[in-house]
Amino acid sequence: MHPTVRKLFPYIALTGLFSALAWAVSFGTLPSADFSFHNGDEVKTVDPALAYGQPEHRVMTAMFEGLYREWPIGYELDEQGNVVSTPEPDENGNYPMGSAPGLAESYELSDDGRIYTFHLRPGVKWSDGSPITAHDFVWSWRRTLHPETAATYGYQLWYLVGAKQYTEGRVEVGDLVEIELANRLRADQPFPRGDIRRAKLIGIARPPQVSPPTNASDEVKEELQATWRSNWVYVVDHNAVPGASESASGKVGAYCKGTADTNWKQYETEWVDDRRPESLPDTTVKCQQILLDFESSVGVTAPDDATLVVTLKNRTPFFIDLTAFYALYPVNRACVEKYGTPNWTQPQNIVTNGAYNLEFRRVRDRMRLVKNPQYWDADRVKLEIVDAMAVKSVTTALNMYLTGQLDWVTDVPASVIPELIARPEKDFIPTPVLIIYFYRLNTTRPPLDDVHVRRALNLAMDKQLICEKVTQAGQIPARSVVPPGLPGYKSPLCGEFDVEAARAELAKSKYANRPGGIPKIEITYNTNDTHRAIAEVIQQMWKNNLSIDVELKNLEWNSYLDAQHTMQFSVCRAGWVPDYPDANTFIDMWVTGGENNETGWSNARYDALVKQAAEEPDSELRLRHMEEAEAILMDELPIVPIYYYTGKNIVSPRVKGFFHNALDQYPIQLMYFEE
Amino acid sequence: MGGLGGFLLRRACWIVITLWIVYTASFILMRSVPGGPFDSERKLPAEIQKNIEARYKLDQPLINQYFNHLGNILFAGDFGPSFRLTDFTVNEVIKQGFPVSASMGIFAITFAFVLGTLSGIVSAIRRHTAWDVSFMTAATLGIAVPNFVLASLAIVLFVFTIPLFPAAGWGSLRQIILPALCLGAPYAGYIARLTRTGMLEVLGRDYIRTAYAKGLSERRVVTRHALRGALLPVVSYLGPATAGILTGSLVLEQIFALPGLGSHFVEAALQRDYPLALGMVMVYTCLLLFMNTLVDLSYVMLDPRVKIETQ
Amino acid sequence: MTESSPQSKHTTEASDAERYTRLLDEARGIHGVSLWQDAWRRLRRNRVAMGSLYYVIAISILAVFVPLLPLQSPLDKDLRNRKDLPPNLAAISLGDRSELRFENNSLQAELNKFEASMAEMRRAIASSAAEQRADLLQRMETAETNNNPLLKLWNNPGPIVQAMLRLRIAVFGDWCIPSIFGTDDLGRDVLSRVCWGARVSLIVGVVATLVSLAIGVSYGAIAGYCGGWIDELMMRFVDIMYSIPFIFVVIFLLTILGAEDTKRWLDEHGVNQLVIFYVVIGAFYWLTMARVVRGQVISLKNEQFVEAARVIGAGRTRIIFRHLIPNVLGIVIVYLTLTIPAVMLFESFLSFLGLGVSPPDVSWGLLVNEGTQVITPIKIYWWLVVFSGMTLAMTLFSLNFLGDGLRDALDPRMKNR
Repeated sequence: MHPTVRKLFPYIALTGLFSALAWAVSFGTLPSADFSFHNGDEVKTVDPALAYGQPEHRVMTAMFEGLYREWPIGYELDEQGNVVSTPEPDENGNYPMGSAPGLAESYELSDDGRIYTFHLRPGVKWSDGSPITAHDFVWSWRRTLHPETAATYGYQLWYLVGAKQYTEGRVEVGDLVEIELANRLRADQPFPRGDIRRAKLIGIARPPQVSPPTNASDEVKEELQATWRSNWVYVVDHNAVPGASESASGKVGAYCKGTADTNWKQYETEWVDDRRPESLPDTTVKCQQILLDFESSVGVTAPDDATLVVTLKNRTPFFIDLTAFYALYPVNRACVEKYGTPNWTQPQNIVTNGAYNLEFRRVRDRMRLVKNPQYWDADRVKLEIVDAMAVKSVTTALNMYLTGQLDWVTDVPASVIPELIARPEKDFIPTPVLIIYFYRLNTTRPPLDDVHVRRALNLAMDKQLICEKVTQAGQIPARSVVPPGLPGYKSPLCGEFDVEAARAELAKSKYANRPGGIPKIEITYNTNDTHRAIAEVIQQMWKNNLSIDVELKNLEWNSYLDAQHTMQFSVCRAGWVPDYPDANTFIDMWVTGGENNETGWSNARYDALVKQAAEEPDSELRLRHMEEAEAILMDELPIVPIYYYTGKNIVSPRVKGFFHNALDQYPIQLMYFEE
Repeated sequence: MGGLGGFLLRRACWIVITLWIVYTASFILMRSVPGGPFDSERKLPAEIQKNIEARYKLDQPLINQYFNHLGNILFAGDFGPSFRLTDFTVNEVIKQGFPVSASMGIFAITFAFVLGTLSGIVSAIRRHTAWDVSFMTAATLGIAVPNFVLASLAIVLFVFTIPLFPAAGWGSLRQIILPALCLGAPYAGYIARLTRTGMLEVLGRDYIRTAYAKGLSERRVVTRHALRGALLPVVSYLGPATAGILTGSLVLEQIFALPGLGSHFVEAALQRDYPLALGMVMVYTCLLLFMNTLVDLSYVMLDPRVKIETQ
Repeated sequence: MTESSPQSKHTTEASDAERYTRLLDEARGIHGVSLWQDAWRRLRRNRVAMGSLYYVIAISILAVFVPLLPLQSPLDKDLRNRKDLPPNLAAISLGDRSELRFENNSLQAELNKFEASMAEMRRAIASSAAEQRADLLQRMETAETNNNPLLKLWNNPGPIVQAMLRLRIAVFGDWCIPSIFGTDDLGRDVLSRVCWGARVSLIVGVVATLVSLAIGVSYGAIAGYCGGWIDELMMRFVDIMYSIPFIFVVIFLLTILGAEDTKRWLDEHGVNQLVIFYVVIGAFYWLTMARVVRGQVISLKNEQFVEAARVIGAGRTRIIFRHLIPNVLGIVIVYLTLTIPAVMLFESFLSFLGLGVSPPDVSWGLLVNEGTQVITPIKIYWWLVVFSGMTLAMTLFSLNFLGDGLRDALDPRMKNR
């Protein structure tokens, strides 16, 4: 090495260091926000079709609006945004929340309760100034339901006629179908779509199946099956759909998603009414998707720009509440088609229709929301700039609140709850919400396959003590799976804490006199201090009161979910947040084989009652069926309810327009600072 | 200079091979863990689950996924979309997080280096005095106290008791100081001890005695002659340390609500966000290998005895 | 002996003999100062290192004999009466909590009752007919696990721990040290948790370090001794391992090994979660050790004693493990004392992530993490973090200083300082 280089080296290193330091202190500056709140974990996406979770919910309702919107019942503002009337809270401090007209001004409901006709508010606009029409809803719901969108909450639209079949991509002979040709602008983007041909499916020709080698793994078998399915040839009649675009290749067409053989006509074919058309095309046309014809088969249409007609499969009393849920919000077609998913959600591209627009976003830092002047109700939105801060640690969020960096904190550290409640500012008021904390019991594993053991476990649990001394935020000990507070519904209750009764119940079990005693139980929970503390306390209660050995197993979130979904647990902590404020969301999950049952429990009478309730037109009777079903659940106890959550919001006393409520939803557009 | 070129070329080859092996190992590890990226508390209907997997091409055979992803990285430098932060690609996430971690890291490493070497030198020269004992006690304490404890105490002290700094967040110089100090503390401790040891060793050498004998002042001897040799172990420690510091610290980022890379590192792994996790591993590995090369080069600069050919 | 030799009659010979005796005595008086003795002598002069050594020894003894100490139960939660108590001297006795339903609210009485009922059952078994015996035996086993009061106050005590606990009850009765360190948010005694936590933390530290030692030393020694392409290959492997972010791998390994079927398989083979935990951590801390040992071995392998061993026909394995490794032990011990603190810190980091030991087992990392949760400006339960934090920091501190002291002591160049 040359000596001068060596001599210069320290200076080079120092220069490097100083320039690095200079770079490190150069911050871009953001003007400060009017209002900042703690939004918990990072928002995964702001695409209403793809989002799920609480943090997403908070920003989504600020940025978008559906036909209806969540609103405190009885809260009225005049044109200038002055408060005209405020509802009274109930004894818990909760305000009644309901659905108020949003983009829709009103609706009519058919006599059978299945057809809703919504009338859109005149003059509603997207944030780019273009008008919002009923067609935007049709297009957005179509996008949400499209299989390639893979919308998480897509099933919330499955109440619509034909919607489920459209998402599943199932088509049957005789159905009207829409064929998307393989000429998309971008192959990986389902929207904008390729050319669409509407037709009637008159036959499906299936190539002979290749039988997999006997020792093939499930994966290989599945792959073979998938390939085989993609090679089906769909024969359609182009002329069967009135007003459909004229066909490119005559009356009868043949389409295939994969690669069809030239001799496809020899395939075994299922024909509609067993009628084979006289002439078949020799070659098949490659297509991207064959789906149920959306326009004619799925229950949403727009007769004109201001009217939206929705047809449901069954009477669904909570459908209006669903339209206030973000999965049913419309998105701007031009924006989505121009930028594609997920690029359209970037701050510089996004077009919204709610009270706020997204101006700036930094992962794990903040989303800056700025008031949307095009919003129809903009005059009554008071906060101009709002920051949604992604702060994961609740202790940090509390620190930031106490130093004035945040105005609203959505969760607090469990250890300081008594001190927070006692604060003179009275800024922490925990109120009950419709969320339940419970333990799933795996009824396929000993000793939990015995109902007496399950009952004993419930009876030996002092839930009052857990609420008072462990969770401490005024949670209510639970004796039913449906939380109280749903109008008209009265939950049947399971047994209360009683050690003697628990021991008696355990003595009745088949394990009581079995050599070796009662098999060990393991409580699985996800990493969280409160879950751990509760599990430790319950471990002690079961050990002391029933002499049952309990092990604790802590899993990080995804392993925990996996263990739960695959039922690799004996007792597992769980929570349930309702999708809509109706008892059904807590009840229908426990039917035999339900996706979220995950206990292995099955009861024919229960299933029948749930089905009966779903079909019952009378809303009173419907509730009675559900109550009867819940009574069975609370007797057999495949789950042990522990407590109902409380909302743990700290709100600065300066903030007005914050309404505690059982849905745990707080629209930001209502909030303002006291003058 | 041919030696240097050859050295760099060989090093580059080695880096490529290492990166490939690390990538492959991480890929295999990640895919063997239970749980998938799209699990949620509410189990999704099977059709939707299937569609989501198809959307991210997770329904393809593993080997295809491996080659596709690797191919995209090699030919387009694209790590693909993040599975969890759906609005972003991995490249965007890293691009946003890296400057944050890097500026905090630069502060921390500067602080650690300056404080560490100064106290190390003082300790070595004033060996067995109160200075020495207190510096070394502080250094060991810096190493021994877990940084989440240090950060919690620092917040109570310097945010609430003496309100000097804001509690958390990112965006101004004042917000960076506290986390940078907490991040740098253990490194400062290590550097102080390394410097002291190195200095003691060098001070016993003949050429230092010669320098003293020439009548040079102590300051001149230390800065001109001893320091170079004493800093060698510090420099080799700085390489991996910088790589670690620049990729952020989960604990401090959580406590100070900073949008750095450290949280992604662990959370991508925990949430099965495969592309993001792989991206993070690659960033860390690249940084580490780059820093190590830099260290080897600065060795050549600092120590006349080290020749590049021996590398 | 020279005295008994026949030549002793002659004076000249006698004086010779005397001289030899004297020489021999003198020789006996001079001991060769081995490296170890020398190091020990130097270490003893280092007061800080010696203090650290005593502390480490004390805390290890404490950890081993924790069950003998008159401590409260580390897991008995008295939520109603003893939640979040600051340090106090209020008297407390074992088995006092009424929910435990112990005889006279006393562990001793309950234990006596349990022993009596066991003895009775044993007598019944002894006097029963053969066909009833099997049934009775099983019944007794059930009763043994169900009714044993020790199992309600301590987590899964093994036979040795149970014996120690019985001894402790025999000596101290129900008396225990008051909650001088306060109680935590579930009403458990912090002092007792810190002491029982010492067991887990020290075992994690020591076992993980030993695992890393075993792998690192043999790996390094083999690479260093074999040299050539084997060395090259093995060291490249170490380089690659260095570049894989280690937290990442540990998280993955812990989740893979924590999966239900893997866990069941391991349980069947007598490996529990905690052991996996030690081994996984240990398996990642060997890299530095391997590099250091390799360097030492390379410098030693051409020394004469190795040549000598080779000449007399010692095999490769024998040379590595009998001749080379003992000679690198010095540096290995130094690294040992530095790896233990690193591992313990790592354990506390994993506890921060919630991946540490599972309750009701407790480690210092877990305690410190719990403690930092309640450092908020609203209220500081200082006793939850101060005591556990202090013990952890003190231990790490001592191990670090001990490591430094040992390094100085074992460094031959420090001989004359």
